[in-house]
Order: sequence, then structure tokens, then C-alpha cells
Amino acid sequence: MNHDPHAQSAAEHEALIQFLYLAPVGLVQTGIDGEIQMINPISAQLLMPLAHDGELANLFDALQDVAPELRQLVGVFGRASGMVCDGLHIHLGPGALRARRAPQVLSLTLLKLDGERLMAVLSDVTEQVRRERQLRQNDAWLNALLTSITDYALVGLDHQGRVSAWNETIGRVTGHDESVVGKPYSVFHPLEAITPEQVRDRLLDADQNGWQLDEGARLRADGSQFWGSAIISPLPDRDPLEGEPEAPAYCMVMRDISDKREAIEGRRKSVFCDHLTGVGNRRAFFEAAELELTHNRRQPRPTSLILLDADHFKRINDRHGHPGGDAVLRELGHLLSATFRQVDIVARVGGEEFAVLLPSCPLSGALAVAERLRAQAAQRTVGFDGADIGYTISAGVAACDGEQLTLETLMKRADQALYAAKAGGRNRVQPWMPDLHRSTGLAAGGRDADR
Amino acid sequence: MTADTDLSFATPTLLGRLAHLSAEDLDRLDFGVIGFDADTTVRQYNRTESEAAGLTPPRVLGQPLFTNVAPCLNNFLVAQRFEDAQDEASVLDDTIDYVLTLRMRPVKVKLRLLAEPGSAMRYVLVQRRI
Repeated sequence: MNHDPHAQSAAEHEALIQFLYLAPVGLVQTGIDGEIQMINPISAQLLMPLAHDGELANLFDALQDVAPELRQLVGVFGRASGMVCDGLHIHLGPGALRARRAPQVLSLTLLKLDGERLMAVLSDVTEQVRRERQLRQNDAWLNALLTSITDYALVGLDHQGRVSAWNETIGRVTGHDESVVGKPYSVFHPLEAITPEQVRDRLLDADQNGWQLDEGARLRADGSQFWGSAIISPLPDRDPLEGEPEAPAYCMVMRDISDKREAIEGRRKSVFCDHLTGVGNRRAFFEAAELELTHNRRQPRPTSLILLDADHFKRINDRHGHPGGDAVLRELGHLLSATFRQVDIVARVGGEEFAVLLPSCPLSGALAVAERLRAQAAQRTVGFDGADIGYTISAGVAACDGEQLTLETLMKRADQALYAAKAGGRNRVQPWMPDLHRSTGLAAGGRDADR
Repeated sequence: MTADTDLSFATPTLLGRLAHLSAEDLDRLDFGVIGFDADTTVRQYNRTESEAAGLTPPRVLGQPLFTNVAPCLNNFLVAQRFEDAQDEASVLDDTIDYVLTLRMRPVKVKLRLLAEPGSAMRYVLVQRRI
């Protein structure tokens, strides 16, 4: 037996260190500004692939590209100590797909210990999120089927998704009369909330999976809106008879669930919305964009992507402070929401970088709307703290039109175009072209900090 | 063979020479040496590395490297490089900047990753960056 107290304490110390080395979650202690003071190995495993510079000095910097809101979250946290965020999901996006083992979603918990220190817990929750998504879908499915159905519309659709016959339930829920027969089911959607290609996508999804479920805003005949849940199922034995192409091929059950809208929207917002700007967050973007491109590969149509960011944003921050920079980002978020169609996917994907995916929109259309946006931004100023802050934006635009592109490739192209717009003097919109990376001499990841 | 203890972190064709060093010789090197076999089980662990990490060799030898010894390396920057080299039967000799969490402090290091087809041992070498 070893009774040497020093040796015993050294052995205990070593066991404690190894306990921390092997803990299967990331633990980090930082200063209030994110400077890392203590960190365990799993944190380094998760964070090193995100840190561009091979450094790991500051937690907020390491997560800047994927969770730009952290500094602000800590900044606006009013209490002297307490939980700043609990299990915040950080979506890493398709860049992580280059590696087999790479996580796609991290969970971050930040605890403020006092005015000087933060504790962070990080873990890879990719698998849990995948399971949750499946459960959410099952929930929505049960929601649609089992909750006390007071009223529903039962709509027969033909092979093209056109209403095949009128019945009283359609009249009760939507107010449409028999003139709705022969119109595609997009007649129940608000203007520009669904493209003809997406009408077809949902039918194909129903063919493949046996059902297709969608919740969202719906339109009554009188133009008023309600919150609806709709399931489309293929009917058995539905090969059209000779000369009867309008025979029903699908059954759509649509319910008015407006009374549940607040809860549904609240849950959606907390998961998919960027706190500062009100547009979507990275997770919303990557989930929706991957889905749209998957549909694009099955049923080719033009899909465009705009990547844009505020020019010289660092100078705005330097001159007006971060709250001034935040005011510009909020304004830009409003401008984006007002400019794009409801069907477009608008999201903040980096500190001052935004992405917009435009389903069923060719390059020319995306360029036109990006140019309109650029011109409006250049004309506006943002009132902040007695000053009028002017700002401009640069945008890179790429389209998937006839080629089968992955989201990663499409984003890379838009990013190359954005870089060319920056190199060309900023405050401009640049389409991607095949020899762009050569003509601008773009080195991989070689953009300077003050974009 | 005594000249081999003059080996430095950057010495070319280091892999073949490390495999022949005794534990005592490895302990004389001024950079960290973690040698592991085809199953990722740690077989060599020298004094420099042991002192930096605060772990004695008995806690490390015989353990799987990427899960039980250095989980911080279990990502595509390091672990996958070794896996890829093994799958493709190719030579790996690359030096990267990294941050290790020695005694829970972030420590900037250079890592040299060494593997060769036909060699029983693979190595992660560690040198502090100033």
C-alpha cells in the first residue's frame, strides 16, 4: 500500500485529468468575451474543423461562421449569472459533408457564471436531430389525423393536381364554389407561395411515400387566409381511363388549424428564425435548400441562389459600434423580407452574409431581383443613435439550370461570384461564370476580413 | 543507433527510425511521440508527451487512441487522414497546425502525422508552437 500523501494526491490528480480528457461532451470555460481559458478534448475535436486558422483562442470566433449571434446573445443577457442558451442547435451545413464522420448539428449550452466567466457545453447532436425530425413529422401526421377534427375539406385531385370535383366540404372550409373544378390545388395557396413545380413535387412525394403533409397559410375564395394542414395521398387503382384524364388520382384532406397557428409558428420561429434580423437561420436555409435541390434533381427546373453581404461591414462596426452594425443587419433583413417572394428561402448564413434560394427562377430573374435589392439598399440609410448610416451590398448569383448541382457546388459558385463582385469594386451584382475563379485569381478561402 | 536520439520533429523519413527506438531513446526526444498500431491501439508513448498531458504511460498504453487517449484528434483533420491512408494504402507524412487541450489548457502545437503501408506502427508527433 502506498501511504505517501504526495503520491496519492498526484494519482488522484491524474485520474481527475483523465476523467476530463475522456468526458464524451465538450466543456469549455471562457471569459465573458469568449476567450478560452479551459477546454477539454471533445471541444477541440468539434471546434478545430470550424476554426480556419488552426487557432482556438476564442469560442465566439471559432463559431463565428455558424453561430454569429453568440456575442450578441451574451451581450444582451441582462442577469448577473444564469443560462444564456440551453441546447441551442448550431447547424454546420453542407460544408461538413466533405467528411464521413463530420457532425452536422452541434448543441451549445452557455452558462454565465458571473461578469467575467462563461461555461459552455458542446455536443454533436446530428443523430438526435435526425430522429427528432422524423418524430416531428410523425407528430404532424397524427396531429392531422387524430385531433378532434371539427371540419375538413375532402378534395379529389387528378394526375396533374387539379381539383376533380366539388363537394360541400370544399365550400365550407374554403368558400369555393363549383368553379374551382379544374384548377390546380395551388388555388388554395396564397399568391407566390407555391410554384407549379412544387405543386408537382408534392404529388410525386405522395407517390413515393404514400402521403405528403404540409402545413402553412391557405387562401379562401374571398381572399382571406387561414392556417391549414393538408395531406395528399395517392388513390389506389388510379390509372386514368381512356378519355378520362381528369379522374381523381389523389385525395387531399385539408383542415383549418388556425387556432393552433400561434403554437406552431412559435415553435417554428424558435428553431428556424435568426433572432436579430427576423429572416431564416442557417438551419432553416440548409434544410429547405437541400429539399428543393433534391426535388430539382428529380424534376429539373431552374433554381437560383443569391449570396449577398454588406460591404465594408467591419468599418460600419468600427465607426458605429456593434449595435450600429446590428441596426444595419436588421434593416437589411427587413429589405430582404419585403423584396423576395413567399416561396423564396431567405436566411442569414453568416455574420453579415445572407443567402436566398429562389425555386423555379432562372439566373436572369434572380439577377434582376438582386439588382433591384442592391439599388434599394444603396439609396437607404439606417437611422441609429443620431447618425444616418449608409450601406451598400454586393451579391453573387448562381443558378442550377439543366445541370445537376449539389447545394455545396451551387453555394461555391455563388460565393465565387460574390468574391468577384467584391473584387470588382463592391456595390454590385455578379453572376457566376465558368472561368470566374481564374479571371479573379481567387485563392481558396482568400477573402479579406473587411469585405 | 545512438545517433537516432538526435532525431528532431522535422527529420525526414522519420517513421522507420522511430519504430526501432527503445522506450528510453524515445523518452530522450524533445517532442511528443504517440505510436499506435493498425487497430489504433497505443503502443508507444514517450516522456515528453506524458509530461505535457499529465498522464503516465500505464493509463494510455493499450488504449484505443482516438476514443480513449486523444478524442480531440477524432475528426477529419486527423483521424480520417489515417483512415484514408490505410484504405488507400498510401503514405501519410503531413504536418499541420493544431490546438491540443493539455491539462484542459488550449495549447498551440504542430502535429506531424506519419503512416506507411507495410509499417506496423503509425505516429502522431507533437511539437509546441511558440
